[in-house]
Amino acid sequence: MAQEKIGGEFGAGILNKKSLTPENTTYRIISKSVSEYHFIVPFDLPDAERVEVGQIFSVKDYDQSSSRKLTFLARVLDVQHGSNYDGNWDTTIKGTQFFDRDQIFNRVIAEPLGCVRDGSFRKSRTIPTKFSPVSRAEQEEFQFLRQVMGDIEIGYLRNGSRLVEEIPVALHSDSMDHHMGVFATTGMGKSNFMKVFAASCMRLAARGKSKFGLLIVDPHGEYILGEGRKGTKGLVHLSRYSSSLACYSTDYKNCQMPQVEEFSISFSEIKPEDVALLYNWSPPQMDALEAISRTFDSDNWLDEIQDGEGLARMVREGFKESTIQVLVRRIKNLLEKNAYIKKRSSLPNILANLQNGNVVLVDIPRMSDRAELFLLSVLSRYVLEEYKKEASDGRKNCLITIEEAQRVLGQGSNTSRFESIAREGRKFGVGLCAITQQPKLIEKQLLSQFNTLVVMGLGDRNDRLQLEESAKQDLKSLDIEIQTLEKGEAVISTLGIPFPVPVSVHKYEHYLEHLKAEKAPEESLTSGPGFKPFLE
Amino acid sequence: MKIVHLADSHLGFSGYNRLDEHGRNRMEERVYEGFDLAVEKIISLRPDAVVHAGDVFHHVRPKIRPLVVFQRGLQRLTDAGIPVIIISGNHDAPKSFSSSSPFLLFEGMKDVHIAQRYAYERFDLDDHAFHCIPFCLEPDEYLQEFGKIERSGRDVLVMHGLVESLRNKRLRTVGEHELKDSLLKRDFDYIALGHFHGQARVAENAWYSGSVEYFNFGEAGDQKGLLSVDLEDGEALSVEVRPKNMIDHPPVDCSGLSTEAIAEVLMELCDPQAVRDKLIRITLRNVSRAAFRRIDQVKLSRLGAEAIYLKVRPEFDDEKEERMERPADRFSLQQEFVDYLSQESREGRIAEAIRKEVAGYGSAVLEKAVAAKNTEVLDAPQ
Repeated sequence: MAQEKIGGEFGAGILNKKSLTPENTTYRIISKSVSEYHFIVPFDLPDAERVEVGQIFSVKDYDQSSSRKLTFLARVLDVQHGSNYDGNWDTTIKGTQFFDRDQIFNRVIAEPLGCVRDGSFRKSRTIPTKFSPVSRAEQEEFQFLRQVMGDIEIGYLRNGSRLVEEIPVALHSDSMDHHMGVFATTGMGKSNFMKVFAASCMRLAARGKSKFGLLIVDPHGEYILGEGRKGTKGLVHLSRYSSSLACYSTDYKNCQMPQVEEFSISFSEIKPEDVALLYNWSPPQMDALEAISRTFDSDNWLDEIQDGEGLARMVREGFKESTIQVLVRRIKNLLEKNAYIKKRSSLPNILANLQNGNVVLVDIPRMSDRAELFLLSVLSRYVLEEYKKEASDGRKNCLITIEEAQRVLGQGSNTSRFESIAREGRKFGVGLCAITQQPKLIEKQLLSQFNTLVVMGLGDRNDRLQLEESAKQDLKSLDIEIQTLEKGEAVISTLGIPFPVPVSVHKYEHYLEHLKAEKAPEESLTSGPGFKPFLE
Repeated sequence: MKIVHLADSHLGFSGYNRLDEHGRNRMEERVYEGFDLAVEKIISLRPDAVVHAGDVFHHVRPKIRPLVVFQRGLQRLTDAGIPVIIISGNHDAPKSFSSSSPFLLFEGMKDVHIAQRYAYERFDLDDHAFHCIPFCLEPDEYLQEFGKIERSGRDVLVMHGLVESLRNKRLRTVGEHELKDSLLKRDFDYIALGHFHGQARVAENAWYSGSVEYFNFGEAGDQKGLLSVDLEDGEALSVEVRPKNMIDHPPVDCSGLSTEAIAEVLMELCDPQAVRDKLIRITLRNVSRAAFRRIDQVKLSRLGAEAIYLKVRPEFDDEKEERMERPADRFSLQQEFVDYLSQESREGRIAEAIRKEVAGYGSAVLEKAVAAKNTEVLDAPQ
């Protein structure tokens, strides 16, 4: 009985043995709490067996006789030097040999991911029995992680620096009306990630399983065709699912492609508050802008204010003529510079595509920062207003991506429209996907509304702190992991997956090949060779 | 260069069960007459070419009569020195192995150019290139076929299908034969579209000419006819072929009206002179069921004897509340099917193991059937 208390079978083994080998102490859980597991490993492991940050280990809490049959999965957070000596033994010279190989080791600190009980994976609320054996997780154990993955495939699970190709990491489309944040410094593979994400959404939509429409406004012109000089490809190249992609462009050359519609918005869709974004206005000018909506017909104000009668009306409202002239001049400027403002509008088509759950790409290369903000403002206001109307049958939610989101979601920015989407969009099924290099500039309160975070390498400590404070899952423990992320690697924290996942994001070009070759699930049953009539 | 753009002649369409003195369907005869009138009109306009943007025939296998009417029309046009360009539409393109295209009969006729092979074809007339994309079986194929176009500098595009912006406006979402707006490129001198039966401009340079005839009451508000297009400046002028013969009267509020009063309203609206050769619909709002029932049905049908079709549509005053209380549960056919299977499987009539497979297969088949049905919604039983 006494032996049982010390540690079950293993304890008995210790007491019965005369000499112990390192195998008896290494790779066994020794401490310490429900939120942190420690075990030790030999200090001089060969390279192939080295323990790395991010690796996943399994802890088998088995007992032949009793009913203990849990498998815990834990991920390495840190590896430290450790020994059983006190003091400065490793720098003190005494005799011929200053340490005994058995007494020194590496201490591995791991965080629990969850435990497998009766074949299903869940959060762990207990601690593995002391001295439970620890081993590298095998395929079989990884399979349990499959259960928690969603339907939008992003990449493969990363186990240290190795890939687990059997476990694709996939976000849950159910949680996409909640906001999403993509955080990465330049060159970490942000646009690659977005393309993979969009491709997975297209695949879902083409199979009729899409739950939301994705709106991507691309100011760099890199999503539509990729960047030729770098040999990357674009969304248009995923021809297999082209039916679920709608492209709009302001670029004449891109508009030549059959699937690309010329982007345009109509005069009546522009509101004074959109114009407010374009310039720095003085307080009287701002007042005048605000007065426009109550002075003129909202569908026709752009025309009305430009003629003499409009000017006179504004003057009657008590504004100085010079103020109004500045306003009119800037409006004329706006209309001249932005050739996509026309009589017809692409917005109803964009909306219909979003509501059908398709991916909508608005390609606006070579546009100034302000012009881009203006366009984004018109577009997102239109979408939000339409979604506020009563939902029709089968309407899908939508997710609006915003590049360089710190411009519009930062503290003190005058673009309350985006903030209002962030705050109230969810009620109407409109989510934001904010892409930024500097999460520290985004207002904390807004950041805390983001339920999916994709972190792709953030060197700045303040950026990481900001994220850790507002993330729904504890990212603090992954601080080292995030610092050591390489290009194309990410840590994803999202609803539906109970722990932050390290991912190696698919390279878009490879994923494209994979999607093209993939067999459709229903192929065997319904789609035979297509009908081609006899042509005499 | 000047062209005339027409579409959706639907030769062979018959309906409304009214026969003329020879026992022929009056609606069908009207459609033939309309086509003949259109040909006459075209000849009088003296264009350099005619474009028919799909759905010449209402059926894939037209009867002899529509074939003859069409051949006669073609002959008259070409005799007048007007070349004709035709594409097949969703109604007259075969969708099964059992039928061949009716257009095979007209291939090889002098000055007649037909695109009906589910693939892009180009016809050069004068200094213009006519790029024709006929009916294709899959939506993706339109993009592919469009990709084959090489611009000549003076280009006309001819297609058949509903462009998405028009679909969005009309809130028709299921099973339509759809063309992406992205195909309506600015650099074409003109884009001639068919499928939608009203005259409509859908882009700066893209028009639906509409059909010549009114086929159903959904079209009552549409303008019909031909378009005479000057390719030099892109101007398209509407040309009327015959006066409108469809009247959809605004609803008459009949609350509190007696049988006699209702009868009087109907008599007034159905003056024999006014209804001759017309398609008429009269909607009566808030009618008392009892009062309407007492109207003599024989006399009522005699009222519309001169018309091609007279439809009196009563909306009873007791119906509205019923509707308010219990809105009908409308599910898609697929959803109904899946629900039915779950119910059957719960009661043990279908093995759970195969339920999912059956549901998947069945839903896919239903989806295809619905799509096929909706594309041929105008098809009368043959």
